[in-house]
Amino acid sequence: MDYNFKFPENLYSEVRMEEKYGIWLTIQNGEVENDGESAEVGAMVRVFDGNMWYTATTNSLDEIQSQLDALAAIAAPNPQIMEHPIVKELDVNRDERFRYDGETDLRKVTRAQWKEILDGYIEKCVDPEDKDVSFWSCGAGGRHLIKRLYTSKGTAIAWDYQCANLGVFFGFTVDGVTSYGGKYHVGMTVPDLLGHEEEVLEKKAQYLDYAKNAKDIEPGDYECVLAPVVTAMFTHESFGHKSEADFMLADKTLAEEWVLGKKVGSEKVSICDVGDMPNHGYVPYDDEGTKAGKTYLMKDGILTGRLHDARSASIMGEKKTGNARAQDYHYQPIVRMTNTYMEAGTDKLEDMIAGVKDGVYVMDVSNGTGNSTFVMNPTLCYRIRDGKVCEPIRVHMLTGSVFQTLFDVDAVGDDFVLFDTYSCGKMGQGVDVSAGGPSIRVKKLSIS
Amino acid sequence: MNKAKETLTENRSKFVFKEGMLSSFSKESNFQASYKVYQDGFAGIYYHVGKVDDEEGFRKAQENLVRERPYPFALETGKRSRDKREKILSDQELRATAENCIKYLNETYPKFRCEVTFMGTEYDRRTENDLGMDYEVKDYAVGVSAIYKHEASKNISDGGFSFNMRDFDEAQFRSIADDFLGQYETMLEIPDEILLDMTYYGFTGFFSKHLDGEELARGTSLLTGKVGEKLFSEDFTLAHVVSDEEAWFNPFWDGDGCVFENDELVLIENGVVKTGYADKKTAKKYNVKHTGPAYQDFTDVPGPGGLTLKIKRSGKTVKELLDGRVCVVPVDYTSSGFNEKGEYTMVIQNSMLFDGEKVLGRLPEFKISTNIFDLFGKDFIGVSSDQPIYYDKQLIFRVNKV
Repeated sequence: MDYNFKFPENLYSEVRMEEKYGIWLTIQNGEVENDGESAEVGAMVRVFDGNMWYTATTNSLDEIQSQLDALAAIAAPNPQIMEHPIVKELDVNRDERFRYDGETDLRKVTRAQWKEILDGYIEKCVDPEDKDVSFWSCGAGGRHLIKRLYTSKGTAIAWDYQCANLGVFFGFTVDGVTSYGGKYHVGMTVPDLLGHEEEVLEKKAQYLDYAKNAKDIEPGDYECVLAPVVTAMFTHESFGHKSEADFMLADKTLAEEWVLGKKVGSEKVSICDVGDMPNHGYVPYDDEGTKAGKTYLMKDGILTGRLHDARSASIMGEKKTGNARAQDYHYQPIVRMTNTYMEAGTDKLEDMIAGVKDGVYVMDVSNGTGNSTFVMNPTLCYRIRDGKVCEPIRVHMLTGSVFQTLFDVDAVGDDFVLFDTYSCGKMGQGVDVSAGGPSIRVKKLSIS
Repeated sequence: MNKAKETLTENRSKFVFKEGMLSSFSKESNFQASYKVYQDGFAGIYYHVGKVDDEEGFRKAQENLVRERPYPFALETGKRSRDKREKILSDQELRATAENCIKYLNETYPKFRCEVTFMGTEYDRRTENDLGMDYEVKDYAVGVSAIYKHEASKNISDGGFSFNMRDFDEAQFRSIADDFLGQYETMLEIPDEILLDMTYYGFTGFFSKHLDGEELARGTSLLTGKVGEKLFSEDFTLAHVVSDEEAWFNPFWDGDGCVFENDELVLIENGVVKTGYADKKTAKKYNVKHTGPAYQDFTDVPGPGGLTLKIKRSGKTVKELLDGRVCVVPVDYTSSGFNEKGEYTMVIQNSMLFDGEKVLGRLPEFKISTNIFDLFGKDFIGVSSDQPIYYDKQLIFRVNKV
């Protein structure tokens, strides 16, 4: 697998190559709405002279060597480059990890087979005579990626990644107002997409009920029970981003606030990030060539770790974690989450709800953001009264303080689920991640 | 059989500064091509990233006719080119300019940790077909995006600013930095009446969806059945304007190859909804007037979309629009977006109080709400003739504090 690049002397340099393939097909109200396919090859070439990185991208692999040479010509040769703290952090690995080069390879799935998957869902989940449905859309597709990294220290690694996705969504128009809902599912292979018809129909019924019956709620603070998909986003947004060490560099305030060993949440809460799980955030090696693994960010409410790339690890004097990720070959790697989740507890969902006198059950969510205040936009909520789930309610926004809310988690369920449906944006780069967790109960969240 | 070729060339040079120092330099050259052949009412499409031989591109497009993507429309003709480039900076010039700006930040605002990107982008987009159509647009701008954090803050970041300029002006950078950072340490109280001052791109997306001819026709738009009605403020006029000076890297033709009379399509005029918009496919499907625009899709046939929406300026400055009042400039915020009823909520984690000429100080976190009909109706104050904060058009409107 080796490419015989001639790496320039007295500089650290690397070549990150990608072969990308994508296919997608969407049927909307009975007509093919989108039908596309793409294939792309590209590479990012980087050179580091100890002061700064010089990078170039190309779609012509035969230009890589000339790009390397051109960057080396403008960088400042540094005979001590191998002693630079960042370069010293970079491992030398030689490995190939091809999980999807056999029968599960999405590139082997024909357009007719994708169409067959969609037709199956449409037959079982869409009723053309259904007067409640003003719009429906059923889409599926897949992405396949091969990454290769070669460095002047001797790293030569190659690995593949792929994901397949399926979405069945409905529009329900009630009194001139249209709301949308359905099921989005992501797996690693085509078989992962099959057999979810009952879940689609269940979601359809829930969102139709919401469209017909949702009531507005008085804004304010409420005790909340979060379903696993909401806990997953809460974990990612409320705590995951705070664990990315690049935000703390050269920042005394944040370094003191997030010192390892500090109690930062309820003892019921443990959160970790695992890069080498075969899920949506799978990275056996990060984009600097560091082997990924499991990092406990919080254990029993105590801050135990954070996510690093080589730069942040070298500056903070902590162990690197394999979390340097780039959206693709157009971007340089920065510190990112991979598969991040809150571990399961022992509480039962029914007991959590039974313990709430007047609160909100947050069942589904669309997106969120995280700073000192985290924000989530729920799509399906129910009022809880006297320990029972009651009518659907319309909630625009769910917010809380990161510093307080983790302490306010007073129940953690045994119903853990990992969701491959998430993606994460940071500094203009989007990456696939997974997020997970069980149902949890939070003493107070702000609803509006 | 007819043939068309769409290409996009983007060359970028980027300097990134972290913790006050130059951290990286990137050089990028991207070329994308879409080859399309049309036969018997169908389109065959081949999309490629990187250089490809035209013969090979059209051959693969022809092979893809088997997908039977419907396109039963005549191709457009016409020749026009537009060059919006003003001053292209060499890599050395861009670096020197960027270093001057960072020097100013480091010396003037040492209590802030900033990550700043300066990116020069040269853009060339072209569509040709074998009936003689040849449209091309060239553009160049330097984009700045900055994220900042005060040394005493426990936030990951306290805000940011970004803007584009075709002829980069260091004085403008310093002015914007002064506005965003200069009064950070002055804490003020939230005023009783809240007027927001924001760029409007986060709000006009509502109209892209709800004026889509397909949404209007099938009854899934909040504006279905309301074309011709006055739903918004007398002062509110909204149009798709392809020659908008603050539209960056945008073609003047649409995905169907159509151009617009006077480069614009008025959708809402003085508060009255004049028309929805429909690409050729939507117009045929629902038997409505074809207005354009169509989204330019390199991988598929065009669909509805691709609007460059512009709200007509008021002719008054921010100061004049405020008429003695003050307004809030959000710098770190998250919104719910418009929900199915057109309601909107926003958490403003960090913001500045502004009197139309100078920033007065910073405000604590608060929440606001509005809805699309109030925002552009009774609460719409106007879009200013000047742009003192964002180096872009500024929308002033009243909101409710939650």
